[in-house]
Amino acid sequence: MAENKAVQVVRAGAIVALLLLGGVNDALAVPSFARQTGQECIACHVSFPELTPYGRYFKLTGYTIGKTFVSSTGFNYAPVAVMAQASVTNTRNNNTTDPDTGDTVSVNQRNNSFVFSGGSLFLATKVNDYVGGFIQWTYDNLATTADGTLGGHSGVDNVDLRAAGKYSGAGAAEPDLIYGLTLNNNPTVQDVWNSTPAFGFPYTSSPLASTPGAATQIDGGLGQQVAGMGGYAFWRKTLYGELSFYRTADGAFSVLRAGQDTHTDGGVAAVQRWNNPYWRFALNHEWGANSVMIGTYGMIVNRYPSNLDTSTPTDRYRDVAVDAQYQYITDPHTFTTQATYINERQSYNASYPAMQETGAGIGAGPTPDNATDTLKTFKLKGTYYYERKYGGTLAYFSTTGSADAGLYGEDAAGNARNPNSNGYVVELDYLPIQYVRLMLQYTAYNKFNGAKTNYDGNGRNAGDNNTLFFNVWVAY
Amino acid sequence: MKQMHRAIVGAVLAGAMTVATAQVGTTPADAEHMKAGEEKAVNLCSTCHGPRGISTSPEFPILAAQRRGYLESQLEAFRAKTREEKVAHDFMWGIAYNLDDHMIDSIARYYAAQPPAPGRAGDPALITKGKELFDKGVPGRGIPSCTTCHGADAEGVADFPRLAGQHAKYVVKQIEYIQGLVRKAPVMHGIVKDLTPEEMQALAVYVQSK
Repeated sequence: MAENKAVQVVRAGAIVALLLLGGVNDALAVPSFARQTGQECIACHVSFPELTPYGRYFKLTGYTIGKTFVSSTGFNYAPVAVMAQASVTNTRNNNTTDPDTGDTVSVNQRNNSFVFSGGSLFLATKVNDYVGGFIQWTYDNLATTADGTLGGHSGVDNVDLRAAGKYSGAGAAEPDLIYGLTLNNNPTVQDVWNSTPAFGFPYTSSPLASTPGAATQIDGGLGQQVAGMGGYAFWRKTLYGELSFYRTADGAFSVLRAGQDTHTDGGVAAVQRWNNPYWRFALNHEWGANSVMIGTYGMIVNRYPSNLDTSTPTDRYRDVAVDAQYQYITDPHTFTTQATYINERQSYNASYPAMQETGAGIGAGPTPDNATDTLKTFKLKGTYYYERKYGGTLAYFSTTGSADAGLYGEDAAGNARNPNSNGYVVELDYLPIQYVRLMLQYTAYNKFNGAKTNYDGNGRNAGDNNTLFFNVWVAY
Repeated sequence: MKQMHRAIVGAVLAGAMTVATAQVGTTPADAEHMKAGEEKAVNLCSTCHGPRGISTSPEFPILAAQRRGYLESQLEAFRAKTREEKVAHDFMWGIAYNLDDHMIDSIARYYAAQPPAPGRAGDPALITKGKELFDKGVPGRGIPSCTTCHGADAEGVADFPRLAGQHAKYVVKQIEYIQGLVRKAPVMHGIVKDLTPEEMQALAVYVQSK
């Protein structure tokens, strides 16, 4: 057993070392968008994945700056990139009581072990002067299998394909209008400010730690399960607007959810066809080394309670969010901050009547006890980097919502539990070279799944889930 | 008298350059050529260097009214990877790699023809000290006047760059790069090698105010 662990550590270390050596030896060997533009990562990223103003411009113009990977002069660069992560997770109290058997079991099956977390392959490139995008395929080495053990699993991750154009009036000094179309599989993955969920902080976190159970639909609830298409426009770097519509990523769009468990009830989201509007408006201003954005985004999701039965009515989730971002980017000091507040109103137009009429919900559940609920999320973080190399981040997060015994269970006194969780994250980062980030992240919970103490009825406290996470993140 | 002579020579050279610039663009082919550079400047360069080459971030130099020959030589240096400071490497090598000679010429003409950035006020004491250094140099330490090459008002002469209105932070950085031989400019290295940080700051604040 010990030998196996040693072999795993050596293997993970060798992978990381190989990637590190590859990065060091070849100055041009950078992820494919950097190969495309010939620019370094810091041109577009404060620190990946957080975008600079230029990075936002690059994304909004359809990832089309630079060269195509093949041109009349021949092969220019490989339009692929790889990313890998290896980590150690320490869960403060790794022992918990199994509610079914009463046995003491581990929360984190690899506590304090150095593990290869997984990796991604990106196809990311400019197609022509108007079209570009990226497709991410991810291998998760620590996926939970059907029997509860950990195993490897791969599937499509984020996808954002764009067609974009620019309009400049006569004598304009910069583009008056940037406009485009996006096809993606995760609401907000197309957004260019890092206050929205898909590319919001934390940019990575422990794949092994326990995390709060409740999240809004727009905050990862639909990622890699839906397909969305829409249009956007950015006027004079000031006003941004986008309107998109989502559907289940099935049929011709099924590649956008490849790897998802579509055959198990509750394995994947199913929503009405194209009847899930997403909007985003933002006011942006750049001056000196500063940029600021305030905005709103949101989505109405008409979701079937069971992904295996789309003949039923749908539950309706209305997510309305406000967000803001400020960036100060200079050499050597960089400071950025983002905040967002998401208010989700859940109207169980299908699940609740079914429960009232039959005493059971639709599908695998959990089935709400209330006709309507709310779920609210607030996130705030501030980051400082020195020379884009040494960074520190402090973040606060909070989720609050209606008590609902159907969704969250009951406490010992028979009262419905709520989904409330909050806490903070402290993160230190070191990028010895631009392709590598060494991270030390500590997540502390003040409340977890509804309570500070005994949140599970078996004596587990929120603070028992406090997590220390060391991560090596390589992108090449 | 010598200074006046230099100013006249500079003015004549600058005038000749302006006439040469103005004469281009009189044929459809020239107009097309100019248009290409303008489109590149509007749609790409402006992202960092600002509308009409007047950037607001001090990390990116102001290009408006910069000397055409200087712009050309720097873009060529980025393309050839002979200008090697970190920012050049991280940002400009990739951009310049995709520019051919015609585009470089066209972009240089576009920015050279733009109205200059207005001067910005700074610490009066630093400006006074900077003006003294800029106009007279430090003869006792072998530091010549900057006006010889950069013009009486820091407007640039021939292929020697315009400094007037440039971000002070950017100017200091360039002097440091040249002083540290990160940016290869042998003549300038000889001139600035003994400048103190305070003198660099004074010079930079002065030219920014012009």
